[in-house]
Amino acid sequence: MAPSRDEVFTTVRDVLSDALGVDHEEVSDESTLQGDLGAESIDFLDIVFRLEKAFSIKIPKGELFPEDALNNPEYLNGDKLTPAGLETLKAAMPHADFSQFEKDPALSKMPDLFTVRTIVNYVEGKLEAA
Amino acid sequence: MRWIWIDTFVEFVSGERAAAVKNVTMAEEYFRDHFPGYPVMPPCLMIEGMAQTAGILVGEVRRFQENVILAKIRLADLQAYARPGDRIRYETTLDSFDDRAAVTSGTVLMNGKNIGRIDLIFSYVNNAERSVDLPDHNFVFTEQFQHLLASARLLESSENRKSNED
Amino acid sequence: MKFGFVDSIIELTRGKRIVAIKAVSLAEEYLSDHFPTFPVLPGVLMLEALTEAAAWLVRDALDFLPSIVLLRRAKNVTYKDFVKPGTLLRVEVDCRRLEKDASEFSGVGFCRGNEVVKARFSMAHFSVGDGSSGVSPIDQRLAADAKAKFALLCGQATKQ
Repeated sequence: MAPSRDEVFTTVRDVLSDALGVDHEEVSDESTLQGDLGAESIDFLDIVFRLEKAFSIKIPKGELFPEDALNNPEYLNGDKLTPAGLETLKAAMPHADFSQFEKDPALSKMPDLFTVRTIVNYVEGKLEAA
Repeated sequence: MRWIWIDTFVEFVSGERAAAVKNVTMAEEYFRDHFPGYPVMPPCLMIEGMAQTAGILVGEVRRFQENVILAKIRLADLQAYARPGDRIRYETTLDSFDDRAAVTSGTVLMNGKNIGRIDLIFSYVNNAERSVDLPDHNFVFTEQFQHLLASARLLESSENRKSNED
Repeated sequence: MKFGFVDSIIELTRGKRIVAIKAVSLAEEYLSDHFPTFPVLPGVLMLEALTEAAAWLVRDALDFLPSIVLLRRAKNVTYKDFVKPGTLLRVEVDCRRLEKDASEFSGVGFCRGNEVVKARFSMAHFSVGDGSSGVSPIDQRLAADAKAKFALLCGQATKQ
């Protein structure tokens, strides 16, 4: 039987607490990994690895945290994403909430998409598909 | 003070796991300062021993063609400290890797007894992420490590075997 | 070569926070192995600088006994950049818990104003004579040596 969303959140919270050295209280649904929880780029790999172990799932490179989605020059206009870029990113991250991001889709604001909720959504999706 | 913190490999299965040993001897320089009357191996040097064991295991996956750098110590938990005459064994497994980084976990044994755990993440160096300019050649796996690499290669194609002294 | 990775203590709030410097120089022997063509301070020695700074905070707060203060556990030690000879590593360490036989810290290291390392770690403190004889002559001597060294390291430090 697949775990409930609360159970998934609890495990994700434990993973982030271990990987980032933050207390449980600091981890909420809305917390951003970089801004709120202080994640560095190497921590993203640590998080992926721990999630794989905790949930017995396989996370292909770039599926949870896409890094190269915007590597086509047509997707960016300076720091801003073009409409094509935004669509590509949305397709690469169906587990993320774009409602805030799409008001001002800037590359520098992309880290705000990586929230705890994004991870919980992703894991739920993987567990349902399994 | 040299910067080689393992003496030889005693187990090496490419892409999977490795084990290396280090003898702790009063002849080592740091004992003069650490501490007079109570020689104890600095714990950070035990972490380095594991990092060298695991770093070579990681580097060998790419045939030592890429620079492998310690990026994160996920956990280093040591329940005992090494004194002169102790024999340390670092056992490590390669848990996960992709083209940018590798995750290892490891156990530290002292005189046959499990005394700790050291889990690490290495990165294959990415020029873009650091401010210091990197040389464009392989600076990690140099001649200094050749004798260690040789002991690893000797074991690579043979059956797994544990050192008899352990 | 001496094994000590704090060169100067520049700030100390007793029992709470310490700021110290480790200067990195090509004169340090291990750099010829790490690495021969690209000498940089090994990551574990950045951690050593952090833990030695923490140890000085402990010794000062506990009046230099217990005499042995060692790293027990480190978590999430993250390295962000290299530290080259000719530069200074500035470590800022905050004490989260301090008891007679154990302490916990979080610390950050900076080089040229940029963060190069951060860590959470805990230390164990004990006397050599612990168990049957309590504080031994070795402990007394280590404490006296540490006091003298500490005075040297503090120099012009701001202390509170």
